[in-house]
Amino acid sequence: MNKTVIKNIEEQLNRSIPPVPGKPKDINFPKFFETVTPSGITVLVIEDRKLPLVTARFVFRQGAYSDTSFGKQKAGLGSITAEMLTKGTSQRSAATIAEQTDFLGATLSTGADYDASYVSCYSLTKHFDEIFGIASDVLRNPVFSDEELQRVKEQRLNSLLSMIDDGDYLASRSYRQAVYGNNPYSFSVDGNSSSVASIEVGDLKKFYEKTYSPENLIVAFVGDVSPEEAVMRLESEFGNWHASFEELKAPEKPDMNSSAVVLTRKSGAVQSSLRIGHVCINRNDPDFIKVSLMNTILGGYFTSRINKNLREVNGFTYSARSALSSHRFGGDISVLTEVKTDITTATIREIMKEINILRESEPGDEELQNVKNFVSGNFPLQLETPNSIASKAINLKLFGLNNDYYNTYIRTVNELTKEDIRLTAEKFLHPDKLVFSIAGDVDNILDEVTEFGIPEIVEIN
Amino acid sequence: MKQRPAENIRTAIPSIEYLEHQLDNGLSVVMSRSKRIPSVAVNTTYHVGSKDEEPGKTGLAHLFEHLMFEGSPNVPKGKFDEILNNNGGDSNAYTTWDSTSYFICLPSSHLEIAFWLDSDRIAGFGITEEALRVQKDVVKEEKLMYVDNSPYGTVEDEGSKRLFANSAYGWPIIGNMDELEKTTIDDLKNFHNKYYTPSNAVISVVGDIDYDETIRMIEKYYGGISRGVDFKRNKVMPADVVSEQIADISDNVHLEGKFILYKIPESGSKEYYALNILSGILTEGDSSRLVKELEYDLELVNEIDTAVYGLEEAGVFAVSAIVLKGKSSDQVQKRIDSAIEDVKSGNISETELEKVRNRVETYFSSGRQSIVGLADKFSFLKTFHNDCGRINAEVMNYLNVTKEDIVMAANNFLNKDKRIVLNYMPKK
Repeated sequence: MNKTVIKNIEEQLNRSIPPVPGKPKDINFPKFFETVTPSGITVLVIEDRKLPLVTARFVFRQGAYSDTSFGKQKAGLGSITAEMLTKGTSQRSAATIAEQTDFLGATLSTGADYDASYVSCYSLTKHFDEIFGIASDVLRNPVFSDEELQRVKEQRLNSLLSMIDDGDYLASRSYRQAVYGNNPYSFSVDGNSSSVASIEVGDLKKFYEKTYSPENLIVAFVGDVSPEEAVMRLESEFGNWHASFEELKAPEKPDMNSSAVVLTRKSGAVQSSLRIGHVCINRNDPDFIKVSLMNTILGGYFTSRINKNLREVNGFTYSARSALSSHRFGGDISVLTEVKTDITTATIREIMKEINILRESEPGDEELQNVKNFVSGNFPLQLETPNSIASKAINLKLFGLNNDYYNTYIRTVNELTKEDIRLTAEKFLHPDKLVFSIAGDVDNILDEVTEFGIPEIVEIN
Repeated sequence: MKQRPAENIRTAIPSIEYLEHQLDNGLSVVMSRSKRIPSVAVNTTYHVGSKDEEPGKTGLAHLFEHLMFEGSPNVPKGKFDEILNNNGGDSNAYTTWDSTSYFICLPSSHLEIAFWLDSDRIAGFGITEEALRVQKDVVKEEKLMYVDNSPYGTVEDEGSKRLFANSAYGWPIIGNMDELEKTTIDDLKNFHNKYYTPSNAVISVVGDIDYDETIRMIEKYYGGISRGVDFKRNKVMPADVVSEQIADISDNVHLEGKFILYKIPESGSKEYYALNILSGILTEGDSSRLVKELEYDLELVNEIDTAVYGLEEAGVFAVSAIVLKGKSSDQVQKRIDSAIEDVKSGNISETELEKVRNRVETYFSSGRQSIVGLADKFSFLKTFHNDCGRINAEVMNYLNVTKEDIVMAANNFLNKDKRIVLNYMPKK
């Protein structure tokens, strides 16, 4: 059934021989401007004049990990504080902030993750001064009114209700609780229904005071702006900002808990959502690059062992991967997938098999070379836009990595040996400590999964 | 109706340069150079989607999207992505009602590898029974994950089967699973022979390339493939809905969902652009009409959105709302309806238009940064409009929309008696 060959060129072309590629061009992490202002703000500028767009990203080095420093029941506080910044200042009402931002065709967004709180503004160059002024207002003069807080809380409580419709979310939520135990990384950044209900204006004000201050701030300017313009703009809005700052106590590194099987009931589920893993390294751990490459081999790209096994050989799933989630003060490594309920156990057995093989035997020469080529070849795409460069530059500062880190990263990856990978797997993967979190049709898997441990059942109301 | 003269509106968005070429066998080539990073994106789009399937054999177009990675005459099963990853590259693909797109992204020094891999899958057929069996299972899991096990996951299927009833847009893109199960290797070969041909394809190459060298390589790998047999494409011709259809659907969700769908003209039509601007007025940004009124002022919804989908022969204007617990979804419906009626009566301010235009400019500027995104856009414009010039000109189609255009499009197409309303209710 092959199509008829119609041209001589086809006869000369031997398709069975792959072409020989050229030598990849060297790529270095772009240089960026960096300074610290007299008030203590770290400023980064990634200038790129190709498009008439400017972004300013404000990053405060405190996020959800510190929520529980403000009271045991305050999960979600950092995230709600960030959301409330745009809900009214001493100069502008929430409606005015929205109206002015939208009119400029600009974006003004706020949020928090585990390690930091963020405000970001983005517009065409011609509107940047105006949107930057609004960003400065929401950062410096938020009022945190109770009326607006009640609104935000009602929306958040509803969003949390909606999230539990999602199997992935449930599996991850139970997974984090079992893996991190009493550590603040066990909570969801968004909080939970009881913690959100308990948050009051006074809590927001405290979180704001301890977090939003110049010494705690990294600002990255990106795009159609020079370092001189950026620093001038920043100084004119923030030069006289002096807020007292006292760093909160960092959480302890989480302990490796013992193995557990947690089943979360999701009514009407036809698939099991699985997340299987345990505690792993912090982001600034010297072994990060090794563990990261090991994770890529396990489940970090399409030809990884987990995807090949579960999807391409067995047809168990549409999507399977492993993830190394490393934060400032804690981290974990896990395998994630979704499969039909009746192949839940078969899938877990395959995952265990792959984890054990990685610990017990070295990868082949070809596999190791492949993964190195993939990581190096894919790296330029992570530097495609000035904003993706900025994210990486911000991470250097947030995680305390040196400015040459990304160049070292690629070099280090290429120097790792087969033995390094096996030793890394042996050191950082612990099949006897795994938390097996499964969200789905609990009654139908309860008996089978006892082969991995005695299950604990989480009911969702 | 007065068209706003183009010279009144200027945009500072820089133009993108590109070059077009066509091979003797009909393969359309679009190239655009960008030296920002030493990478290149290759997008091959075949003008075949779920609407081209025969009734009773649905799901073939999407199944192909999987199988094209699963073996060709010189690249055995399992090797496509392995070779690509090994060369620092990555791939993906998607299927719509009208087309199937494949993309590869890799270091520019390795571009020839992409052409070798990609061309082998149309030069010949190499899909095995084993690959077919495994990918049927993978697709079934894909459907379970995105449709059956996902909150509000059935909206697209429930919506299109009603809005496009008795037409080829009416069945799910992923297909009916019982029909998919019956697919044979012969079905695949016939489909491949008919649709996976140079004359039915566009290849777009964007990134760190040399134009002459790229054409030389494309001629080398694709030039010898026969153009395929010309065929007459069946028209879908979806009929209008004759009266309002309301369906209550119970789902594993905690919050009620309301989804309102109207059939509108096809992608690229004057109405398509006008209704896109209307969508911006209604739900883009916290100050937009419906977000401000329903989410903020009245606190009726957790989410409200509008979207315009442009298909080859029709379009969809969709309103979706997730209702806050304890609030009335009838009330939500009333407010949405009165906002649309208000627009139809001519109530749109110049400020609202200006606001959406500013957004459009920001959006089009930032959309120029991704080589994968640009390659996809070029393939789309060439396939459906045969006009790559729209890459630079299309923004003006949005910026030139007038209040009168919106009022007319809304009056002609956003009518209660021709719409579908899906009410998603929490299971008891």
